[in-house]
Amino acid sequence: MDADSAMAKAMSAEAAESESREQFRSLDKDVQTLKKEVLDLNRDLFLLEEELLFPANSQVAFFISMDVGEYFELDSVNIKIDGKEVANYLYTLREADALVRGGVHRVHMANLKTGDHELIAIFTGKGPHVRDYRRGATMTFDKGIGAKYLELEITDRVRKQQPEFVIKEWE
Amino acid sequence: MSSDRSLARRLCLLLALTALTLSAQAADADRDPIVVQDPHYGEVLFYFYQEDYFPAIVRLLAAKQQQQLDNHPDEAELLLGGMYLSYGHHLEAAEIFERLLADNVAPDIRDRTWFFLAKIWYQRGYLDKSQEALGKIKRELPRNLQREALMLEAQILIDEGNYDAAIARLQNWKGKTEWASYAKFNIGVALVRLGRVDEAARLLDDLGDLDPFNEELTSLRDKANLALGYALLQDGQPRAAKAPLQRIRLEGPFSNKALLGVGWADAETEDYERALAPWMELQGRDLLDSAVQESMLAIPYAMAKLDSISQAADHYLNAIEAFHEETNRLDRTIQHIESGRFFDNFLDDDPLDSTGWYWRLEELPEGPEARYLFHLLATHAFQEGLKNYRDLSYLYRNLDNWQRNVDVYNNMLDTRKEAYATRLPRVEDALARADLDDMVSRKLEFDSTLNNIEESNDWLALANRTEFDMWGEITGLENAPALRADIPEAEEVRDKIRLLKGVLQWELERDFKDRLWRIRRNLHQTGEALVETQRSRRQIDESMRTEPLRFEEISGRVYDLAPRIEGTKMKVEDALSKQRVFLQSIAVGELQAQKQRLDIYTVQARFALAAIYDIAATVGHASE
Repeated sequence: MDADSAMAKAMSAEAAESESREQFRSLDKDVQTLKKEVLDLNRDLFLLEEELLFPANSQVAFFISMDVGEYFELDSVNIKIDGKEVANYLYTLREADALVRGGVHRVHMANLKTGDHELIAIFTGKGPHVRDYRRGATMTFDKGIGAKYLELEITDRVRKQQPEFVIKEWE
Repeated sequence: MSSDRSLARRLCLLLALTALTLSAQAADADRDPIVVQDPHYGEVLFYFYQEDYFPAIVRLLAAKQQQQLDNHPDEAELLLGGMYLSYGHHLEAAEIFERLLADNVAPDIRDRTWFFLAKIWYQRGYLDKSQEALGKIKRELPRNLQREALMLEAQILIDEGNYDAAIARLQNWKGKTEWASYAKFNIGVALVRLGRVDEAARLLDDLGDLDPFNEELTSLRDKANLALGYALLQDGQPRAAKAPLQRIRLEGPFSNKALLGVGWADAETEDYERALAPWMELQGRDLLDSAVQESMLAIPYAMAKLDSISQAADHYLNAIEAFHEETNRLDRTIQHIESGRFFDNFLDDDPLDSTGWYWRLEELPEGPEARYLFHLLATHAFQEGLKNYRDLSYLYRNLDNWQRNVDVYNNMLDTRKEAYATRLPRVEDALARADLDDMVSRKLEFDSTLNNIEESNDWLALANRTEFDMWGEITGLENAPALRADIPEAEEVRDKIRLLKGVLQWELERDFKDRLWRIRRNLHQTGEALVETQRSRRQIDESMRTEPLRFEEISGRVYDLAPRIEGTKMKVEDALSKQRVFLQSIAVGELQAQKQRLDIYTVQARFALAAIYDIAATVGHASE
């Protein structure tokens, strides 16, 4: 019967566990340092990519946001600039949920010349009473020097129990 | 960015943060909601809410560097801490919390955050840090977390071998909750380890006799009975050990050990016949279990004691054969694990699209190894090591993608530089031909002429070509010598000319104001166009000055980043290999221990068999 050696076994198991813990901790510290290094590198690469592909002078960013979202479940957004289709984004359930909870999605980035441009956004999804719903919003915006941010906002118009689609400019 | 035009959606960051730090019930709806005022902050939340922590952190760091989070400085920092924590970047998270939690956050959130940090640190084996974090909790933890924190504290003391302190921590725990039961169990185990078996027995007996209301407690009850049974066996009290061991369920994670123990309790009192019953029950069970393996030796041991020598010899032979086969299987598994590809199979079914603290491997990949390593899944060291392995694989793939992108950027920059160099002479030529200063002075001359025309009411100056020619013709005729004759025909023509001149003058004077306004408007537009052209010209000049610098600056950055990516990738590769070796050592260590046990059992079986043969031979000689 091994019962007498159980205590000794337990003690040696504890020692092994402690050694393994130390080894893990040392590796974990290396992993932590690497994570920081890679995150910083990603930050620099992200900024470089943006500056390279969308220089500040010509950059226009289009954001999608939702406020409440009781009367509309977003499926997709289609964006046209000056009559040309530039984005057609289909939302996953997870993404749509993130929008409802307050997230803002940068759906498209473009390089545009200074001057007036026309934006048309078409939203597709489920409207009140879970019916298929498709609505558009349009605006003309002036692209000056420097980056421009436009927000395509979906809000609830409570009185009419209908969604509302608005395009706004961030200043 | 004005808050009026901001994204007017409401959210409660702290609520999100507490949800993120593992506890849904930690949410606090009473807090003031936060309005997203910077789109980049909202963008970070978009990824955060999808639990895509890596891209969310990168975006937050980038926006922070670009000063695009001016309206959310504190929330952004706290969110970053929370996301670091979720991403398993706990040391960095702790630094942020150290800085922010002291003043900026409600005490309950602060306490909860320290609690979860303590829990994570404990799982990662940072016992000192875990203890430190627990020490920072003041008073605002919800009751359930308070209990868990106390348990955690005691568990750390037990892990450090500080049993007395652990007992002291848990001793005053009252009540009949699950936590109280766990506390009792932990005290019992600590007492056994201190050799205070009688005190431990009272506690574990209580626990082993409880009426459980759920599976978790039933399992805890079995565990307490097993601990008590074996503690008593070890203390030389086999009769007392039997009762707790018999309280354990026949089908459950502890049943094999219980059956083995019951058998030993009977064997200790020399009731070998009784001992055989539970041991025989173990025969049909999984040979991987050490209790089943031990029973294969215990059975022939009892049989030999009951003088069934031939049966005992058969059982020993079976055991030796079974142990041999099992050892071979273990060897093959060890070989496979050491081949290197084994741990990548763990991640094969996983898309690796994100990383995170909450990821946990629930099932081992199919294969012969799975049955040997199953219980490794329950250990922190293996799970956390695998988590790191997975995170490192993600980092490696991330860097690999960037490496490819940076090559594309280099090509892109070259193409742009070439296009710029081709276009530049054409632009310079066009600019040289367009004398803007001359255009401006001509415009100013026009202004001045028009002012003079207006001041002198020079309506003829604004006549069109036809009118002007007509006017010249009329005045020419007026001065013709033939018309000076004093004859009625000449007088008639003079009247007609006067009439024509009068009509033409009247029309020119009538249209004067309108023409003046039109010309002024056109001049004004020309002025505006000239200003715009001058502005464009300045832009072009500025671009011609800055573009080469921009190219140079971006090229420099791309150039610097490429070796940085390469260097980091190599470090990640190295860490991956160390992590793999660590995981291999845990897995192989586990298998080696199993093999070692089988070796010992085999030796024991061979000795016992030899002894039986000796006895048989002696009896044979004696009978001859």
